[in-house]
Amino acid sequence: MVKTVLHVMRWLIMLAVVVIVLLPIVWMVFSSFRIHEEIFKYTTPGWHLFIPKRWTLQNFVDIFLDASRPFGRYMVNTLFVASVVTAAGLWINSMAAFAFAKLRFPQKKTLLALFLSSLVIPYEVIMIPQYMLIRDLGWINTFQALIVPQIVWVFGIFMLVQFFADIPRDILDAGKIDGASWFRIYVRLVLPSGVPALITLGLITFLNQWDAFLWPLIVINDDKKQMIQVAISSFQSLRGISWGKILAATSISSVPIVVVFLFLQRYYVKGITMTGVKG
Amino acid sequence: MRGRGNRFEKQEARVAFAFILPALLLLVVFVFYPMVRAFIISFQKLHLINPNASFAGIGNYASLLHNQTFLQAMGNSFYFAAVVIPVQTAIALGLALLVQRKFRGVGFFRTVYFLPVVVSFAIAATVFRLIYNKDYGMLNVLLKGMGLAPLDFLSNPDISMIGIIILCIWKAMGFFMIVFLAGLNNIPDALYEAAQVDGANAVQRFFRITLPLLKRTMAFVVIITTMDALKIFVPVYITTSGGPAGSTSTLVHYIYKTAFEQMNMGLAAAAAFLFFAVFVISLVQLRLFRSDVEY
Repeated sequence: MVKTVLHVMRWLIMLAVVVIVLLPIVWMVFSSFRIHEEIFKYTTPGWHLFIPKRWTLQNFVDIFLDASRPFGRYMVNTLFVASVVTAAGLWINSMAAFAFAKLRFPQKKTLLALFLSSLVIPYEVIMIPQYMLIRDLGWINTFQALIVPQIVWVFGIFMLVQFFADIPRDILDAGKIDGASWFRIYVRLVLPSGVPALITLGLITFLNQWDAFLWPLIVINDDKKQMIQVAISSFQSLRGISWGKILAATSISSVPIVVVFLFLQRYYVKGITMTGVKG
Repeated sequence: MRGRGNRFEKQEARVAFAFILPALLLLVVFVFYPMVRAFIISFQKLHLINPNASFAGIGNYASLLHNQTFLQAMGNSFYFAAVVIPVQTAIALGLALLVQRKFRGVGFFRTVYFLPVVVSFAIAATVFRLIYNKDYGMLNVLLKGMGLAPLDFLSNPDISMIGIIILCIWKAMGFFMIVFLAGLNNIPDALYEAAQVDGANAVQRFFRITLPLLKRTMAFVVIITTMDALKIFVPVYITTSGGPAGSTSTLVHYIYKTAFEQMNMGLAAAAAFLFFAVFVISLVQLRLFRSDVEY
């Protein structure tokens, strides 16, 4: 008897959490299909608080056609920056990780400690001089301001070091005796064996960049070059913008991410359990 | 032969440096150099509009300690951390325990609980700001429908921080659930079976086996949560921009405003270093907590 009650309670709690978690997301997606008047009309609990009465795609059409706030452009900008950071980051971080994990060289411990020490510096502490540096370089309002400082990621290096450490040194030495250069060994032997770790790292990097907010907010003020997250958040400071448009923008920029996540869930979760790193 | 080996070693070292060099350069230029410069700026009178910096001694630090806005922001950050760390950790552990054992549909629950982690902070905050709206927001419509008093998270300074806390927990609990799940899966089943044979009930098993063996995971979760909590910015900036009456302004929000709205770089850099001090002290404290749990 007690057992049944506990069992029922457990399911009720689990379902209640599902409702709490999904309610904002469901409300966001459904409301993006509403006409302007409807959002403020159904202000009593009921189906129509969530399900639109008259469905419309107008909100989506509007945000993409609004020339003063080109939403498609923001998506392309962000996609470009996130892809370049991911590709360059995988390349540069994995090279450093390979050297730390497998190569022998003097002062390795010192260099490793130097890299590690950067982990205690929160980005928020250095954003002011970083901004001034970007300004001195003349990079304000450029994509390199968003890309170059973001490439090296020490957490990522250490994740890969752990992964590469399992590659037996003998294999590398064999390659060496066969006359392959270290660079060739890195490309032909090390990278292929690290593919799962590289996918995980690439996925996390990409999502972090897609979600980036504070840095673009600081270094980009040209509306045409803005990143998607900052662009969306500035939507709502406009007077008289309809909720439907805001929610169309938030829906369309999170749906692709959710879909990607559902497919690559395994890698994403592995990344968390390996390093506990997130944005 | 020996000479040859030596040559190989030298070559290997050269290659290693070449492989590390790009990452090292970026790190020096974009992390270490700014760190040093931030320290210098924090002792300067430096306004972005006026390019001439002048030495200010500890003037910036001294004025911060009398600055009500800064002290309020610091207090808000501590309040936020003090609530979020225990509450979010408890919820995440609870969720992990609920979905730990395999049952039909467990994948569905795990995925759904994790879903808010994938939604970006900016989007979550934008949506919650609409949900919290006093007149038309979903939350207050539902509360009114149930005959409850509406909650005005956006303009009532007494509860505004709670609104941000709810948003943050909603967003992050699934992440720490996954971390706890990994920790729970490392506890051998044999321990539970033995305890069951000895007649331990579920509550005893939780406090005597699960919790002690989760200490390392717990320490990890608390450290990451503390770091995130001290750095909280995006939801504050988007939902309330620190208001009403400064009730939700946090340390990072203060730094951002001082540096990029008032252009007072010297003062902001000093605030950033005080923030750094708080950050490092918290981490050191937690490290102690960590070392005493490693058996």
